[in-house]
Amino acid sequence: MNIPRTDVLAPKGSKVLLMGNEAIARGALEAGICFASAYPGTPSTEIVETLATVAKDAGIYVEWSTNEKVAFEAAYAAAISHVKSLTAMKHVGVNVAADILMSAGYAGTNAGFVIVSADDPGQHSSQNEQDNRWYGLLSHIPVVEPSSPREAYMLIKEAYKLSEKYKQPVIFRSTTRISHTRQSILLEEDIPVEKTCKGKFERTIERWVLIPAHGKKLKKRMMTVWKNIMENEGHPPFVEIINPGNKKVIIADGIAYAHVAEALELMDKKNEYTIVKINLPVPLPYKPIVEALKDAEKALVVEELDPVIETQVKKILFENGVSVELHGKDLVPENGELDLDIVYRSISKFDIGTESVPWKPLEPLRLEPPIPPRPPVMCPGCPHRNSFYIVKVAANKARLKSPIFTGDIGCYTLGYQKPFETQMTSFEMGGSIGVAHGLSKVMDEPVVAVIGDSTFYHAGIPPSINIVYNKGKSMVLILDNYYTAMTGHQPHPGTGTTAMGEETYRVPMEDVMKSIGYETYVINPMNVKESINKVVEAFEKYKEGKPVAIVSRMKCALQALRDARRKGIKLPVYTILKDKCTGCMVCVNLLACPAIVVPKGAKKPVIIHDLCAGCGLCAQVCPFNAIVLKEKGDPNWLEAWY
Amino acid sequence: MARRYNIVLAGVGGQGLLTLGRVLGNAAILAGEDVTIAETHGLSQRGGSLIVQVRIGKGESPMIPKGAADLLIGLEALETARQIIYANQSTRIVMNKFLWPPPLADYPDIDNIINEIRSRNIRLYLVDANKISEEIVGTIISANMAILGYAYAVDEGLQEKISYEHLEKALEKIFKGKVLELNKKVLRKGYEEGLKHK
Ligand SMILES: Cc1ncc(C[n+]2csc(CCOP(=O)(O)OP(=O)(O)O)c2C)c(N)n1
Ligand code: SF4
Ligand code: SF4
Repeated sequence: MNIPRTDVLAPKGSKVLLMGNEAIARGALEAGICFASAYPGTPSTEIVETLATVAKDAGIYVEWSTNEKVAFEAAYAAAISHVKSLTAMKHVGVNVAADILMSAGYAGTNAGFVIVSADDPGQHSSQNEQDNRWYGLLSHIPVVEPSSPREAYMLIKEAYKLSEKYKQPVIFRSTTRISHTRQSILLEEDIPVEKTCKGKFERTIERWVLIPAHGKKLKKRMMTVWKNIMENEGHPPFVEIINPGNKKVIIADGIAYAHVAEALELMDKKNEYTIVKINLPVPLPYKPIVEALKDAEKALVVEELDPVIETQVKKILFENGVSVELHGKDLVPENGELDLDIVYRSISKFDIGTESVPWKPLEPLRLEPPIPPRPPVMCPGCPHRNSFYIVKVAANKARLKSPIFTGDIGCYTLGYQKPFETQMTSFEMGGSIGVAHGLSKVMDEPVVAVIGDSTFYHAGIPPSINIVYNKGKSMVLILDNYYTAMTGHQPHPGTGTTAMGEETYRVPMEDVMKSIGYETYVINPMNVKESINKVVEAFEKYKEGKPVAIVSRMKCALQALRDARRKGIKLPVYTILKDKCTGCMVCVNLLACPAIVVPKGAKKPVIIHDLCAGCGLCAQVCPFNAIVLKEKGDPNWLEAWY
Repeated sequence: MARRYNIVLAGVGGQGLLTLGRVLGNAAILAGEDVTIAETHGLSQRGGSLIVQVRIGKGESPMIPKGAADLLIGLEALETARQIIYANQSTRIVMNKFLWPPPLADYPDIDNIINEIRSRNIRLYLVDANKISEEIVGTIISANMAILGYAYAVDEGLQEKISYEHLEKALEKIFKGKVLELNKKVLRKGYEEGLKHK
């Protein structure tokens, strides 16, 4: 992503347009962090990407770690040795780091330590929409949650204060609509020049060695902290009672508050309602809840996803003998993302018993054929298209009978679509290999695990070892496009650069696989024929019962296009010769390249000049040699691709 | 509270919608307006349907209810048609004359889309933003700025909130050097085209 460096580093008093994630990064810098580590994941990526972009200017250390657990451990280590730190991850990343998260709740921290969890209600870019506020309840780590990017900027600093006050880590929960919304933000402070970057490790083993005897003591500390937060933090900026004294009350946290505030404004009912605005949903401080509800007639909890606040409110009411007509998930959906329209309807039902909204959308257009869905697709020139085509042809040639392709998470997941269907499972990162192994133990069909490069380093190595150790029969195909492409092309251990742009060692995956014991083949899928032959050879080896790995290496096309632009290299462009093309549609049906389209009513496809990345795959696939170079590209054009 | 001005940007991932949103956002700040821009990142950027919601003026929620857009800018015809649910009877729709079919799908003709929208008596403006960009830059990469210039010229609501100079200044925040100059030219050409069709 293109991070506006000057905006993020702007001096106090500037008004800048920052995305929520940039605002979190800026706030954390103002709080004085000197260490940040993360593994990318939408919608969290730009937090640490921003920090990496300005790391040298701000004098801090930033890294992309191999996965969330490793990132968490690194940042936590800094914090327990008195260096303020941050780790950030998407919601499912917290699952990967959950083991140490639980221990960190027990052991606490010395310097401020914030774990940003960016949740994805509505599943814009994720396999689930889990609500990570539960993790706070599970780990006894408080959860701070902003309602806008502007508030995220302010609140992240408060999260660091809270963490230092109680010597406890803090989960800072953002969601897609906070993280990826831009807002004008007035910067309140400068980034401090002086900060603690050199750590000091105290050998207090009773704190850091969680044997049962120590753990029991640490739990007592943790529970005291927990109760103190519940008792004492029911004030701004964590909880605010707006317009107190009304009979009707709405309790709302995070982005839900933003929708509530605007909905009441539009209804012209602001004065009839007391709003309890929650920025500390876990553990919910009970005093302001009792205060706002004790004389109320009815109350509505508006929160996105699960009834985390509602459950706590019910407990608080019960324990404090307060009775009030309480609504929540009976009126507010628990599936998907909330928006202004949904919240307006919920409040309207709560208020007058019926749903009514002031806006009148146009009816959808009636068109024949109807507007087709447009799911994400692999880009023109995407190396995964080549790999999938090659593997399918080779499987046929090697007479691999109905192979099963287990899949993983990344751009290549899009291979689940027609015409490839080379992703038949996709559960979580690294899952392709473990699942392939299990399948191969209970099925006779050949099983191929398909995994991306970044995903391989993240969680693909232990299951690869497991296959060899347990004499499994599955094959591993690693798609190496040099980057963590899906999340915006972050470098990984195979790239050769760090988050801060320094050159570093490469850890080639073929060396890893060879050392585990795999017969390892490396192909360049830009050369289609040669690659097919090699993969057939690999499949033959596999039939002999050998552990086999294939590394398919070709740069991500988006990145190749960028590199070409940056280096001023002109890439080739292909065209379809009308007189040679027979309209067989092989290129269209076997490749589904978005640059190849069939104009309305036409019998032959054409290539959209501006969209063609010049990879040449279609030309190698056309049985009539009808696809040829239209523009040759510079003699050194391949340099952009390697 | 003054009403917020709601702009929906629709198109295909990779067409430059995020940049278009950022230009509008920076222009709004320069005009002294509060602004939120709800973007979409990640998976949907890989050639999928994409919308960006820009709201100018004071307010809390970053999301535009269906039917509440004042202006719908569509960089691609199928996506404009898909997101028409954000429009109401008085919304202005500015659409790029460009249809990019998704792979392996049957799709309606662009003329059908135009006729269907027109039959609803909605203010529809058509611009060949790809062509404007190609004429000046050599590729369709700046179609987003061409359509912005055009939309600005035909939409009084937007003119009330921000001035043309704010748009140009906003470009300076995002682009530099030669790319900046080219984008300014494209914006201007789109604007001039728009003035002709006001
Ligand atoms: C635990 C977890 N962390 C992060 C993500 C976000 N994520 C989805 S795909 C992906 C990276 C895929 O990179 P790679 O394997 O190199 O495939 P590419 O996209 O480059 O094809 C990431 C980080 C996730 N889904 N789950
Ligand atoms: S970003 Fe790269 S890896 Fe992802 S679909 Fe596009 S070309 Fe393929
Ligand atoms: S060469 Fe063919 S397959 Fe490759 S990007 Fe161009 S049109 Fe698509």
